[in-house]
Amino acid sequence: MRFGAWSGVSRKEAIPVTSIEKFLQNAVTPWMGSRGEHSDIVLSTRIRLARNLAGHRFPIDFSREEAEGVERQAAAVLTGEGEPFSCIRMESMPALQRQVLVEKHLISPQLADPERPGTVILSDDESVSIMVNEEDHIRIQVIYPGLHLMEAFERADEIDDRLEAKLPYAFDGDFGYITSCPTNTGTGLRASVMLHLPALSMTNNMARIAQAVARLGMVVRGSYGEGSDALGNVYQVSNQITLGKSERDILKDLRDLTERLIEQEERARRALRERSAVKLEDRIWRSYGILCNARVLATDEAATRLSDVRLGIDLGIIEGVDVSVLNELMIFMQPAFLQQFAGESLQPGERDVFRAKLMRERIAMERGEKDSPEE
Amino acid sequence: MICDHCHERPASVVVTQSKNGKTQERHLCDVCASHFHPFQGDFGSDPFGIQQFLANWIGGGIPQQAGRPQSVEEGPECPTCGLTFRRFLERGKFGCPDCYDAFRKELPQVFRKVQNGHAEHTGKVPESFSGRVSAERKIGELRGLMQEAIGSEEFEEAARIRDEIRGLERSLAEGGDSGDVD
Repeated sequence: MRFGAWSGVSRKEAIPVTSIEKFLQNAVTPWMGSRGEHSDIVLSTRIRLARNLAGHRFPIDFSREEAEGVERQAAAVLTGEGEPFSCIRMESMPALQRQVLVEKHLISPQLADPERPGTVILSDDESVSIMVNEEDHIRIQVIYPGLHLMEAFERADEIDDRLEAKLPYAFDGDFGYITSCPTNTGTGLRASVMLHLPALSMTNNMARIAQAVARLGMVVRGSYGEGSDALGNVYQVSNQITLGKSERDILKDLRDLTERLIEQEERARRALRERSAVKLEDRIWRSYGILCNARVLATDEAATRLSDVRLGIDLGIIEGVDVSVLNELMIFMQPAFLQQFAGESLQPGERDVFRAKLMRERIAMERGEKDSPEE
Repeated sequence: MICDHCHERPASVVVTQSKNGKTQERHLCDVCASHFHPFQGDFGSDPFGIQQFLANWIGGGIPQQAGRPQSVEEGPECPTCGLTFRRFLERGKFGCPDCYDAFRKELPQVFRKVQNGHAEHTGKVPESFSGRVSAERKIGELRGLMQEAIGSEEFEEAARIRDEIRGLERSLAEGGDSGDVD
């Protein structure tokens, strides 16, 4: 087992490498190490702005020449001297590396599609990724830890202004920002927060909540995977409507909703502790035991156990393990990341063994670090 | 068996979904199945969303014109990319920015369907489109914020916003619709 990537490359002082290697090697996206507001329940905030250039067909229909033209124009604005951005063409990366960027949420699965031209422009701290020639010509994405809707939006807005000053945006006086899909037209803004809601899930409240959220013109779905079952109890709540509401109103409504969900989750956690304290503790400690000892771990089981342990840490039941380690493991345990880390391609069965080993050794390492200073 | 999602490629994967206690099986091809892979992290799109929705709606959406049965079926056509309104409804995606002009009459009803009754943009306006419109909107927005600040007795903040509004109004009065308007 090689732990080189962990011990050798610290998050901030990565060894000088070519830009793409840097983004692949970083164990964890830098923002995951830091903490944001409500970071026990809100894992991250994401803002996405969809923009298009006038005079070019949308990626669904455009030619290779048009794609390259769009890419050249967008890259020229952001990747000059002294800019903290790197421009990475999808064609230049093998499939596994593209998948790693998908698993880090830096690009969408659609951009990773090898049959389509696409490019990502990444900021050095990985909080900003601009997808070029995904469904729209330009998609500005900002991800911040914790609940930071306004801050993340302002960062995206600022990049939008810079691009707009140099590029001929497609904009309509009636319909606003023109996008390839009518569900994005208007502001082109999709704001979302990723929430860890184990207590609401355990108490079977999520279906009811999903319905209530839909009535507010917003949507809640499992953040990893599809359907009402959310892997690792991680849910994503986002605005559905992009037209007829200003950016600030969209953000305010989402923030209000998120705060209500946080309150409900906290209430459900209190209720669980009061009514079934022993059962809850048992479940949490069992999951901890499995992460520390299992020899085979499939993705969904690992996600469930990580969720339990995370709840245990939030409730002060488990001590000595930092939540940021769980954030790391949640990303790391995904198939492409696992193989990137192993330095070889792994069959699904081998992955489960490698994943189990990863969990054991990382948690042991964390406990070792915490225990040693006391001597 | 053909993929339940794209209806193009052969199905090679069975995806089992449980929803409200009911289990549903779907047969998908490799490509579509990959979109449902755990951790794929697709934040924004729902593959079963808009296309399905608009496709079901074909028929009611295309205005009838007398005399030209063939082209009536297809609705207006975008002169730039050749996309017809009917084709747009089928696939749920525009072809190019000029489609918005070509389908201008039909679009409000499309947007009302997919945007909860809304059909008009009230958000950000790029400076390059119109510095004036943008500044006017911004002033309106700031006035709202100022009222909120006054309401919550944050008078310093309200005064700061008031000064910002005055600055914007001044630059508008001077005809400055250039980039100095923030």
